[in-house]
Amino acid sequence: MKGGKLLLGAAVTSVYVFLMLPIAIVVIASFNSGKYLKFPPEGFSLRWYANFFGSQPFMDATLLSFVLAVVAAAVATVIAVPAALYYVRHAGRWRETFRMLTLAPLLLPEILTAIALLFFYYQIGIGTKSALGLYLGHVVICIPFFFLQVTSALYNISPSLEEAARSLGATSWTSFRRVTLPLIKPGVINGALFAFIISFDNVSISLLLKGVGTTTLPMQVFDYLRWDFDPTTAAASTVSIAMTLGAVILVDRLVGLRAMRY
Amino acid sequence: MTAPSPTARPPGVRPRWLLAAPVLVTVAALIVVPYVNILVMSFRVPSTTKPYLPGFTFGNYTKALADPDFFYFELLFDTLRLALTITFLCLVVAYPVAFHLARTTSRWKGVLYALVLSPLLVGVVIRSFGWIILLANNGLINQSLKAWGMAPLPLMYNEFGVVLALVHVFLPFMILPLMGAIQGIDPRLEEAARSLGAGPAKVFWRVLFPLSMPGVQSGCILVFVLSCGAYVTPALLGAGRVHTMTTEVITLLDQFLWPFGAALALILSVVGLAAVAIYARLSGRLMRGLA
Repeated sequence: MKGGKLLLGAAVTSVYVFLMLPIAIVVIASFNSGKYLKFPPEGFSLRWYANFFGSQPFMDATLLSFVLAVVAAAVATVIAVPAALYYVRHAGRWRETFRMLTLAPLLLPEILTAIALLFFYYQIGIGTKSALGLYLGHVVICIPFFFLQVTSALYNISPSLEEAARSLGATSWTSFRRVTLPLIKPGVINGALFAFIISFDNVSISLLLKGVGTTTLPMQVFDYLRWDFDPTTAAASTVSIAMTLGAVILVDRLVGLRAMRY
Repeated sequence: MTAPSPTARPPGVRPRWLLAAPVLVTVAALIVVPYVNILVMSFRVPSTTKPYLPGFTFGNYTKALADPDFFYFELLFDTLRLALTITFLCLVVAYPVAFHLARTTSRWKGVLYALVLSPLLVGVVIRSFGWIILLANNGLINQSLKAWGMAPLPLMYNEFGVVLALVHVFLPFMILPLMGAIQGIDPRLEEAARSLGAGPAKVFWRVLFPLSMPGVQSGCILVFVLSCGAYVTPALLGAGRVHTMTTEVITLLDQFLWPFGAALALILSVVGLAAVAIYARLSGRLMRGLA
């Protein structure tokens, strides 16, 4: 039995190392002074960060990714929060159909959704000339994650609280604003965090829908990696990881991540 | 939210479906209509100068499934084989971790859980990049091998690299449902089996594994579907030398062969879903057979 425990421990530890290894390697490569990562590392340097922050394409891509993720999360809020309210509190006979429709962007292969949207945009004439299609694509893939967070938050509060507010004369809007919303706030903020991360890291949608001459940060890294190896991409990746981590820490400070369910 | 209801109206009378309207409009306009459109597109006549020619044809489907040298048929087979390999490896690698995480009483449990979740916060491009640094011909592993006087290994630009990186990318999607399922199993069941004389292997195959089957099933379906649709990792670690249906479809789109690309993408989705349905039936029977 003791041998079995040791074996399990060794197996589990190596899987954790496996999970963390490539991510740690990228961060280490971004601080390495040489062009290729060697072991032992050649020395500490910030020159790839200087490259990154000095590169106009990388800066434009970072800004676009950030704005895109914030807009997608904000628009998804307006769509997903009422949808979750409807599903948990009011949906009748079509309840499961409604849920499947809302989760469809998550259940369908993302690359197929991207292709379908690309064809559709061309046929209705918006094409990829403007960034509108890209924004809409990001919104649609963020909705299911947001919806799941808010529904689980709604299940955890009792409908009798809202009923009490309404029986005391509050309109449904007031009871939503003063009772429901404060109670589901952690779920909404976690949903927004998920939406932000999903959009910020997305490649499949951006790959096909990015407009001419614009690109997002993951796409910029992807294009660099396909043609050449340059540690500037490691610096870009590390900045991207730091931004995601920053969002997670911010949300943790605001509401705590305890309510987070994937 | 919709506009506040007039106070004259008694609460609760406001039409509820207004809450559902935004999501229904969005999904109808950006999912349902584009998917119907892609289905129609797959029956169009291809052209290299514009999206498609007038008229309809079954030609794209016959070309995909019955061309003389079975190129696309083999591609589909390779894609499914790759997805199955990745799913199986994920299951084998994830099981011990999920078991440990479900049963551990260590005070590090929260940290370990965060370690499993955290790769999901890092984009697929970045995680594939990490594997490129490690596996490339002049990457970290091959440099170390050379430094120790050993011959370099072909670790990237082949299926090995693609499978390894995809197992890494999808592992959390296997660990989480498995962990959920194992947490629901009463540890006393294993103790009972052991006290009745069952060895560790027998306890695993006759008690633990059958009872964790719901988690095995959802994890496998999730990883299989995600693997079938994976594009970024095969494109980066295969670098044009590993071909899957998705990389082929994207190439066709670049060549403006939209109707044919649409047909291939739909075939992949339908075959993938059919494989999932067959698997769900089989594993249901397996579950009953084992338990």
